[in-house]
Amino acid sequence: MSPNSREILAVSELPPEGAKLSRIWDWCVVAAVALLFMGAIHLHVMLTVGDWDMFIDWKDRQFWVLVTPVSMLMIPAALQAVFWHYFRLPIGMTLGAVLLLIATWITRYVGWHLWGYFPFTMGVPATMIAGALACDAILLIVRSSLLTSTFGGFVFALLFYPSNWASLAPYFIPIEHQGMVASVADMIGYVFPRSGTPEYIRMIERGTLRTYEGTTVWISSFFAGVICIFMHMLWWRIGLAFSTQRFVDSSKRFKKFVGLA
Amino acid sequence: MAAIVRAWKLVLSMIVLGALAAEALPVFAHGERAQEPYLRTRTAHWYDVTWSADKLSVNQEIVVTGKFRLYSDWPDAVQLPETVFVSNATPGPVFARVDSYLNGVPARQSFRDLEVGRDYEYKMVLRARIPGRYHVHPMIAIKGSGPLVGPGRWINVGGTADDFNYSLTAISGEKIDDLETWGVSAALTWHSIWLVIAAAWILWWVRRPLLIPRYLALKKEREDLLTTDTDIKLGIVVLVVAVGLAFYGYNWAQSKYPRTVPLQAGTMYTPPLPVQSPVVKIRFQEAKYDVPGRSMRMVMDVTNISDKPLRLGEFATASIRFVNHQLPAAKANVAANYPAELVARNGLGISDDSEIKPGETKQIAIDATDAAWEIERLTSFLTDVDSKVGGLLFFFDPEGRRHIAEVGGPILPVFKKS
Repeated sequence: MSPNSREILAVSELPPEGAKLSRIWDWCVVAAVALLFMGAIHLHVMLTVGDWDMFIDWKDRQFWVLVTPVSMLMIPAALQAVFWHYFRLPIGMTLGAVLLLIATWITRYVGWHLWGYFPFTMGVPATMIAGALACDAILLIVRSSLLTSTFGGFVFALLFYPSNWASLAPYFIPIEHQGMVASVADMIGYVFPRSGTPEYIRMIERGTLRTYEGTTVWISSFFAGVICIFMHMLWWRIGLAFSTQRFVDSSKRFKKFVGLA
Repeated sequence: MAAIVRAWKLVLSMIVLGALAAEALPVFAHGERAQEPYLRTRTAHWYDVTWSADKLSVNQEIVVTGKFRLYSDWPDAVQLPETVFVSNATPGPVFARVDSYLNGVPARQSFRDLEVGRDYEYKMVLRARIPGRYHVHPMIAIKGSGPLVGPGRWINVGGTADDFNYSLTAISGEKIDDLETWGVSAALTWHSIWLVIAAAWILWWVRRPLLIPRYLALKKEREDLLTTDTDIKLGIVVLVVAVGLAFYGYNWAQSKYPRTVPLQAGTMYTPPLPVQSPVVKIRFQEAKYDVPGRSMRMVMDVTNISDKPLRLGEFATASIRFVNHQLPAAKANVAANYPAELVARNGLGISDDSEIKPGETKQIAIDATDAAWEIERLTSFLTDVDSKVGGLLFFFDPEGRRHIAEVGGPILPVFKKS
C-alpha cells in the first residue's frame, strides 16, 4: 500500500477491519456498477443513437457525427458527476465509455452475428473512449464542472470522429457496383439485406447546397461539440440529483394514516 | 420409479412430436400473412414471378424475376409509392444480394415517383450464404408504409456457411478478400488499444482505497490526499495521449486510405413499363365473400373493346391465383414451379366461360373458392375499415396472348351458406 493510500485510510478513521470491509464493499460496488451501467448505457445508446451506431451504412458525415456523441455523453456525464462529487474520482466518463464498448461488442457478436447471421462488418461500433478520457482528464486538471462542461464536453465531441476514423476508414473506400460508385459500407448494407430496413430509411447526409470544401464532418463535429457543452451541464446535474438522498418529514395526517401516530 | 421413467418418456415423446409437428408447418416464413387484406389485394399485384432454382449450395446464385402492377384503387392508409426500395424478403441475410434491377435500372438505391396503375419489372440476383430452407419473396418497401411482400417460394440451401465468400476490388485498387470480415481486425485492434489505455486509467484510481475512505476523507476536507500532483501530471499525460492518439489514428487512416467516398444517397427514377392497349372495359357490380364456403364471388360487366374474341383465364389477388382450368393458355401461364399453395386447387369458376366477342358486353360472375382465403388470412377484410377487394384479371385471345385488367370494389360478407 502506498503512503498516499495509508494516509487516506488514516484520515477516514476507519479501523483496520473497517478498511478491509470497505475494500470488499468497493469490489461489490464495482461489479454492480459495471453490470448495471453496462446494460443501462447500452440500452440508452440503442434507443437514442440506434441505427446510426448499429449499422456501418448509417455512419455518415452529417448525422452520425452529430447524434452519436451527444447521446453517448449523457449517462457517462452523470456517472462522472457522481464519482467526482462524492469520491473525487475522475473516471466516470471513461468507465461509461469502456462499459458501452464491451457491451456493444458482446451484443454485436451474440445478437447480430450468431443469432441474426449478420457479418461483423455490418455492425462495427463506434467508441467514445478518446473523448471520455480527455473529459475525465480535463475535470481532474480544472476541477470545475462548468469548465469541464465547456472544454471537456466540446473536446468529447470533437475527438469522436478522428478517434473512430482509424477503425472505419476501410469502409469508405470507393467501389463500383452496377455502374455506380458506392462506399464499401453502402455495399455491405446492400449485400446483406435487412428486410425491415430499406435503403430509404437511412437518415444520412443527402447532400447540401454548400459543400464547405468537403468538410461536412468537421462542421458537424463542431456543432456536436457545442451541444455537448450543454448536454454535459444538464447530465452532470441529473447525475447529482439522482445520487442525492433527501428525507421529507411526514405529516401528522400521514403518520396517523399508517398507524404511526 | 418405473412410473416416473414412463412419465418422462411420455413428456419427451410429446415434446419431440410437438417439435416435429411444428417443423412440418411453414412457420419459417416471415409474416407476410400478417398484412391486412386490403393492403395485399389493392397495392402491388405480383405476377410472372419466377425463381431460377429451388435447391442450391452456398455461393451459388438464384435469380428472382417478375412484374408487379401498382393497383389503381390504392388504399388511403398506404402512402403512395413516391419512394420505393426493391428488395427481397428472406429470414435475415441468409442470401447475399448480388444485383437488383427495376425495369433494367440498377436498384441499389431507392426509386422515386412510381405510378399507380402501371407495371414494373424487377430482377434480383441472390447468392446463397447460410444453409437451410428459406421462404424467398420479392418485396418492395414503400416509404411511409413499409414492405409489400410478393409470393414466396421455399428454397433449400446446402453446403457450409464457412465457404461463403464475397470479394471485391475497390476502384482505388484495394483487394477486399471478404466483405464479411473486411476491416474488422483493424477495428478490433484500435478498440483494444483504447480499451487498454482506458483500463489503465481506471486501474490507476481503483487500486487505491476507493469509495468509503475517499468519501470520508472528502467530508473532512482532505481533497489534497485524493488527487495528488502525480495524479494531475498523469491527467495531463492522458489528455495529451487521448488527443494525440485520436489524431494520429485519423492521419494514419487518411494516409492508408487516401481516397474515400461518403455514403451514397439519392434516388433513382425509371418510367413504368409501356401501357398495353386496353382490350376490355370492366364495370364492377358486386363482390361477396361467403365465410363458411371460403368463396369470393364477384359480378362484373366485361366489354371487349378489341378486335379479337377474349376469354377470362385467371383472377389473381394477394399472390393467390385462381386459374380457369378450361382454358389451356391460362393453365400454360402458370409456371410449373410456381408455389402450389398459392394456386387455387379448384381454379376459377366462371358463370359464362364462352368467348366475349369484339364489341360485346357480357355480365360475368366469377367464383374464387379455396381454403387459401383462410390460410393466407385474407378474410379479415370483413372487419377492415376499408372493406374493398381488388385483383387482376388475365384475359387471353385466340393466339394465347395475355391481356391484363384491374377489377375491384366493395365486398360484402355472407355469413350463412347460400
